[in-house]
Amino acid sequence: MDFYLGLIQIIGVHTLLGLSAYCVLHTGQVSLAQAGFFAVGAYVAGMLTVLAHWPIVPALLVAGVVAGSLACAVGFPALRVKGLMLVVATAAFGEAVRLFFFNFNYQLERGGFHIGPHGGEGFRQIRYFPEYGWSTLEVAAFIWVVVVLTMAALWWMDRSRAGAVLRAVGEDEVAAQSSGINVTVVKVSAMTVGGVIAGIGGGIFAHYTTHIEHIQFGIVLATFAVAYPILGGLSNVFGTLIAVIFIQGFLIEGLRFMGDWRNLLFGGLIVLAMNVRPRGLIDAGTITLVKRLVFRSKERASA
Amino acid sequence: MLKKYVALAAVVGAMAALAVATPSPAQERTVKITAFGAKSGVVRVFGINSEAALKAAAEVINTAGGVTLGDGTKAKFAIEFLDDRCNAEEGISVIRRIASTDAFIAVGPTCSNVAESLFGILQKKVGDTSDTGLQFPIIADVAAKGGLAKISEWSFRNVPSEFEMYKSLFAWLKTQHPNLKTIWGGVEKDFAHSNATFGVIKQQAEVNGFQILGQSEWLLADTTFSTQVREMKRANPEIVAISAHPFTTCGVLKEMERQGVKPKLLIGLTSSSSIETLQGCAKQAEGIIIPTSFAPVTPEAAKAAELVAKFGGSADLHSAAAYEIMFILKDVIEKQKIMARPDTVAADRVKMREGLAALKETNGLLGKIGRTADREAIKPFLYVHAKDGKWQVLFKPSS
Repeated sequence: MDFYLGLIQIIGVHTLLGLSAYCVLHTGQVSLAQAGFFAVGAYVAGMLTVLAHWPIVPALLVAGVVAGSLACAVGFPALRVKGLMLVVATAAFGEAVRLFFFNFNYQLERGGFHIGPHGGEGFRQIRYFPEYGWSTLEVAAFIWVVVVLTMAALWWMDRSRAGAVLRAVGEDEVAAQSSGINVTVVKVSAMTVGGVIAGIGGGIFAHYTTHIEHIQFGIVLATFAVAYPILGGLSNVFGTLIAVIFIQGFLIEGLRFMGDWRNLLFGGLIVLAMNVRPRGLIDAGTITLVKRLVFRSKERASA
Repeated sequence: MLKKYVALAAVVGAMAALAVATPSPAQERTVKITAFGAKSGVVRVFGINSEAALKAAAEVINTAGGVTLGDGTKAKFAIEFLDDRCNAEEGISVIRRIASTDAFIAVGPTCSNVAESLFGILQKKVGDTSDTGLQFPIIADVAAKGGLAKISEWSFRNVPSEFEMYKSLFAWLKTQHPNLKTIWGGVEKDFAHSNATFGVIKQQAEVNGFQILGQSEWLLADTTFSTQVREMKRANPEIVAISAHPFTTCGVLKEMERQGVKPKLLIGLTSSSSIETLQGCAKQAEGIIIPTSFAPVTPEAAKAAELVAKFGGSADLHSAAAYEIMFILKDVIEKQKIMARPDTVAADRVKMREGLAALKETNGLLGKIGRTADREAIKPFLYVHAKDGKWQVLFKPSS
């Protein structure tokens, strides 16, 4: 049971990471900076609980605010460029953040031990959950409360005017601008919201892995962040969740018994999935189909 | 006719009953030991070697009759090896998977960054009811960064103390090469083990009066080293100390050859005293001195090297540790009367931890291995150097 709860935790945190990229992708931008915001959240939250003894919730909120502020600051210059140039610019930012933590040293002495981030050797003993008696079930429940709240907020946003504006910018930037939408504000807002979500996700990540170091926040994580919503589909927030379950639950954990063949299959199955479902695992067609099925069953029930 | 059939059936039935009642073969059991580590990615060779070493040791134990369990039955070891891809998240998932089975111990991981996270999710102090960390013993064979077992009282290691190794090596170098004074360091900066060990190398070099002229840095996945070697060339050091794994060690050594950098002495990282270095750059590595806790210099070590090769791996200081671990586990299982039954899992884990924690000394391939209070090993070691495409023993310090 502990194993499945642990897997549920991983799926939850990666869903947050994917949702952070989902926000930015809505505006038609591909950002590889999400791993950077995730790293900022991880270090900030870890430092607050370990060095300042903050409770987890305020630490995560501050992590989200710091990562979001950074995303906002990065958003202005970065979003002046488009397409592949933006991918390169955001990847460079992500690497800069990683290298910052690679060199970041801030340790305090507590009881004869040095604690805190220690450059390339990382930041160990972020043990808030076990030290405060949280069971694996409680940690999983906590993570999923955050995930559900985030998904609900994004679901609501998708259906609000804000969502329509985001999609308008993503579909045709020039048309959106000519209809009076301030494209820069929209893009930076999406980047900021994505940064907040990534920061909170990173904060949780630091606490369930108990040790973080720069190498975890590299280009591979950034690619996964973007891959989740693209693979899952941008029609709604559930696509990202389905993609995370597919990758983390099935490809990584489910195929572990295959040993060395797992890595080969991993890439092959993603390519296959994207060919079979080019608009994502959950696209507009799937939603229409589900709606029809639900509608029919309701009709039958009333008849 | 009918009587004949009845008699035949009676004989067959009696034989079957006898076969069921005969205790020894029916009671033979299997104890599965699950190990984990990197079997993919840049450091996959360490996982492959560990798996081979564990299987080799299991075969030796099984051939000799197996392990005696707490109820007196004999059991054979079976090895399962899971790939964590040197990724902390996957490592946590793997250990939770193992802990959700009947396993009472796990062996691994390969990478120190994975060990940091894994040991972090374990209960820190045994019996601390306020700490909800996982209560499951793990013994590491490869993860070599200093002081990792301190993280939890459920974590153990059978890896050598690199601090002691380099302390001894630099003191020896000082006496053997009193004319050599200057050192240039090279470090694979993004890998926890090589980065941490580089700190030890620098510290011990300075303690022994060597002058560090500077250092070059590179990453585990780097393939070009021209800038780093150019810095090295400019400094013109007498000694070059490279704290990196075989893949980049070879890259740097080849670049040094290309740029004509010829220091009077080369020093390497413990993990590079392996077959991979010789396969990758035997010519360029000629003369490099490395402290190691394994070389086939005793009959046991030579036999282990042969057996590990039979299982598709190569014996080095890391896989030798895995090999030794199987014998440690056998002794602890027998001493602690481990039952290895589904209904005794929790008790077996506690007994295993207690047994491992109580060890003061174990048998190793190079001699007796001491155990410290913080669950680390004090392993005998020697210095090897690459000569004519082989690792040859240069010096064996008295322990």
